[in-house]
Amino acid sequence: MYPADLKYTDTHEWVRIEEKTGTVTVGISEYAVKQISDIVFLELPSVGDNLKKGSPFGAIESVKAVFDLNSPVTGEVTEVNQAITDNLDLLQTDPYGQGWMIKIKVESEDEFEALMNAVDYENHTRNA
Amino acid sequence: MNQLRKTVLYDRHVALGANMVEFGEWNMPLHYRSGIVEEHLLTRKRAGLFDVSHMGRFAFRGKGMLPFLQHVLSNNAEALEVGQCHYTIIPNDNGGAIDDAYLYRFVEDEYLLVVNAENREKDWDHFQRILKGFEEVEMVNQSEDTVMFSLQGPSSKLILTGVIDSGSLPEPIRNTLSIATINAAKVLISTTGYTGEPICFELFTTSKDALTIWDLLIERGAAPVGLGARDTLRLEASLPLYGHELGLDPEGREIPILSCPLSKLGVSFSSLKGDFIGKNALMKQFEALKKTIKRDYSLRVDLPRLIRPVALAGRGVARAGAEVFVEKKQVGFVTSGTMVPYWKTEGRGLSSRVTEEKGMRAICCALLDSNLHEDDRVEVEIRGKRVEAVIVPFHLRSEAPPHARPILWDHVFKEEEVFSGATVSEKVHYLLKKTMENTIWRQTECINLIPSEQTQSPMTRLLSIMDPAFRYAEHKRIKAFYDADIFYYQGTDFIEEAERLLENELRLFLSCTEVETRLISGQMANTAVFSAMVDYLNRADRKSEPRRIRYVLNNHIMTGGHLSAQPMGALRDFVAHNPKTEKPAVVNFPILPENPYKIDVSACREIIAEYKPELIIFGKSMVLHPEPVAQIKSFVDDLSVRSIIMYDMAHVLGIVGPYFQEPFKEGVDIVTASTHKTFFGTQRGIAASNYKEQDEHYEFWEAITRRTFPGSVSNHHLGTMVGLLMAAYEMNYFKDEYQKKVLANAKAFARALKDSGMDVGGDPDVSYTETHQVIINIGYGKGPEVARKLEENNIIVNYQATAEAEGFTVAGSLRLGVTEMTRFGMEEENFRTLAQFIHDVVIKEKSVKEEVKSFRKRFSDLKFRFSGKEFDAVMERLHRLI
Repeated sequence: MYPADLKYTDTHEWVRIEEKTGTVTVGISEYAVKQISDIVFLELPSVGDNLKKGSPFGAIESVKAVFDLNSPVTGEVTEVNQAITDNLDLLQTDPYGQGWMIKIKVESEDEFEALMNAVDYENHTRNA
Repeated sequence: MNQLRKTVLYDRHVALGANMVEFGEWNMPLHYRSGIVEEHLLTRKRAGLFDVSHMGRFAFRGKGMLPFLQHVLSNNAEALEVGQCHYTIIPNDNGGAIDDAYLYRFVEDEYLLVVNAENREKDWDHFQRILKGFEEVEMVNQSEDTVMFSLQGPSSKLILTGVIDSGSLPEPIRNTLSIATINAAKVLISTTGYTGEPICFELFTTSKDALTIWDLLIERGAAPVGLGARDTLRLEASLPLYGHELGLDPEGREIPILSCPLSKLGVSFSSLKGDFIGKNALMKQFEALKKTIKRDYSLRVDLPRLIRPVALAGRGVARAGAEVFVEKKQVGFVTSGTMVPYWKTEGRGLSSRVTEEKGMRAICCALLDSNLHEDDRVEVEIRGKRVEAVIVPFHLRSEAPPHARPILWDHVFKEEEVFSGATVSEKVHYLLKKTMENTIWRQTECINLIPSEQTQSPMTRLLSIMDPAFRYAEHKRIKAFYDADIFYYQGTDFIEEAERLLENELRLFLSCTEVETRLISGQMANTAVFSAMVDYLNRADRKSEPRRIRYVLNNHIMTGGHLSAQPMGALRDFVAHNPKTEKPAVVNFPILPENPYKIDVSACREIIAEYKPELIIFGKSMVLHPEPVAQIKSFVDDLSVRSIIMYDMAHVLGIVGPYFQEPFKEGVDIVTASTHKTFFGTQRGIAASNYKEQDEHYEFWEAITRRTFPGSVSNHHLGTMVGLLMAAYEMNYFKDEYQKKVLANAKAFARALKDSGMDVGGDPDVSYTETHQVIINIGYGKGPEVARKLEENNIIVNYQATAEAEGFTVAGSLRLGVTEMTRFGMEEENFRTLAQFIHDVVIKEKSVKEEVKSFRKRFSDLKFRFSGKEFDAVMERLHRLI
């Protein structure tokens, strides 16, 4: 159900690891998009911002509530997907492709070990 | 979640895919499958159906119910007639809100109070405590046995009409009530809601009938809407929510009730109300509010902050609790806020259209320091960042049904481009050319059916622009000279003579003793009469503050009443306020259920006995029948009510006479009129009476002449006065033939329109009309569009809102008048041809522009005027003198 080539956090961010460049791409899972529903606003960091694993890098807002977006790794923001802030529908239509949010230059690849694979993440959403 | 309470509709919500959430003690739908945004938009474009059965419903009965309600509620419960409801607040002693509520009076001997779900028990207990001090009040909790639905949005009227099997919808104004049956179940209906929609209903029925009625409404196209969109819709309409805009602020302090702009409507200090809980605190708040509105902050301590609508200018979403700043100073809090969707519109004004394109905007309500005002810039703190925002007057407007219209803070109103010539010569040429084109179009290519217009004869027109068009001729009767008219300017002998002649002609025409001709419009004539009436009423005491007219009986604007005879028109400054209703002391003529264009005469007697109107105003701008003057006059005499009877004959002056109506013979005191609708004249006004100098009310007539000059005019437009004299000659000479022809043409026109398959208003037994007007019903809301389509085909009419419309933007009728085209020589058979053209445009959507143009060419010679060789030479000389 969830793409097997991605890793996941327990707060529903997905991570695509690009070993060659030492960067990761981050977005939120289809499950999260559905749960939030009526998404109306997205706040993302700026290029160059330093992020800490487990700390918010932005916020996603629905009509009713605000949710933190948590950084899955520690590192520096190298790219931000400006296209989605004006077209939030992309989060629904293509959450793992055009719906990506930021790219991070990772400090230590050790952090990847704490992330879940697709099967564990699916179990996690079932128990949520 | 097991212990949460469920409404009767619970299973329906689940079956409709609702996301059920905890709401206070209740398990309620937050949204259905389509989501909050979609449900918000569906309500704004079509119709939303809300289950609001979780709200508390308390019925009050017994002799003591009214004193009790007056004591525990902030509004004036006594103002409610059967069939009315209003917003009210349940105040505490400090002027804070225990809750806000709606009070309904469906029947004579019971009031129904609807309170917020989360405050149900608290309100009940509060009432129970107070109840101990009152006798003969029965309070019944109906919350369990009844349900409440809210049906809101442009299509809601059509949906509801489709399911009602007996009874009717409430009158199409806010806060009215009716009782009907749906599927044989009794349903109470109100025109209320919590969305800002101009077309809105709330329904009450028993729990056992709830499911059937809900299903029927869904079947008919109402979209189920959950609490999520209920909140965004009410936010967009800036309606308060207890716990946000009322109750405690984010710092735990009580919000004074009058901080909320809407509360003004729900708080009354009427003398009839007496003492009530929180009155002293509310009075203090009100004094502070009045000062604050005038930007005097000396009483700020009693009302430090006000709830204001705020729109975000920068990126971000303001949420309840967010702090608001001006520079470094915190000036308040957001009380409610989110991002709401809206439908984008295109076009401007009346032709603006709601598109299929959606937008989103971040808006909020904020409790802000009272010295901040509309257009002030503020900053909202969102996650540590300051986002720019602006105080706006409103987020939404409801006065152009069928849609509630979003008002965007940064909307740029584009003025249509107008010609701006490079040189003066270009501008002059342009103006001359455009005037010529317009005259050719309107005079030779268009069929004009506006009943309030009339092309004047060449003599009338020419005389209107000759000298004395540029002169002054103020004059006043002076008692010292035996009431001789004294003129204040020289060179006025001609105008003095013309004015005397005009008075004579009009006295002859109206069969009366007095005519005031210096008024320059019909509306001014009404203003002068109302002003004179106040003057006359106060004749015995000139030292005290003059009192206004107590109770006026007139035609309601939606049943054809003149704008100028309404409190929103010329009556405004002259009519008293009724302390009971806290509204202008005006009562309307009842209309016949089977013919809304006719006054229900038999029902008038009771109204006259109850209200004892000092002034009765007949006359309409949508008029198909003579007014029942003689019958009403007999009631007034029978009941010994001292009413002045006035007839605003603006629309019917030209048909006064034996074929229509003779006002003074029937007992009218005063006639006012404009002189250019059915009459042949230039655009002016008159007042007339049949009082003789020895009559008691002659002083009233003298007051009318004083309120004309110096009360209303200094210069009374002498050119058009001479023109009017010629028109009066024409009318007195040709009226017999003209009036008969007008009335016959109108009947023929109405019958032909009916025969072509159109829905003609009025009574078929009199061929639909007894005047120069014909009303056709073309469908709810279609008036403006069809009138525009007819204009594109060179047929000029005006759209008309009738009794079932909420306002002019949903007008469903056209008002047609035959006078101008009758004067251009059209006969009954020609009106039958014209009826076919109208049918082709309206029903068949055909273009008939060229046919209309060539048809119009056959009627180029204006009739009912003096012409011929004997006048040619002098007309020629007059032309040359310009």
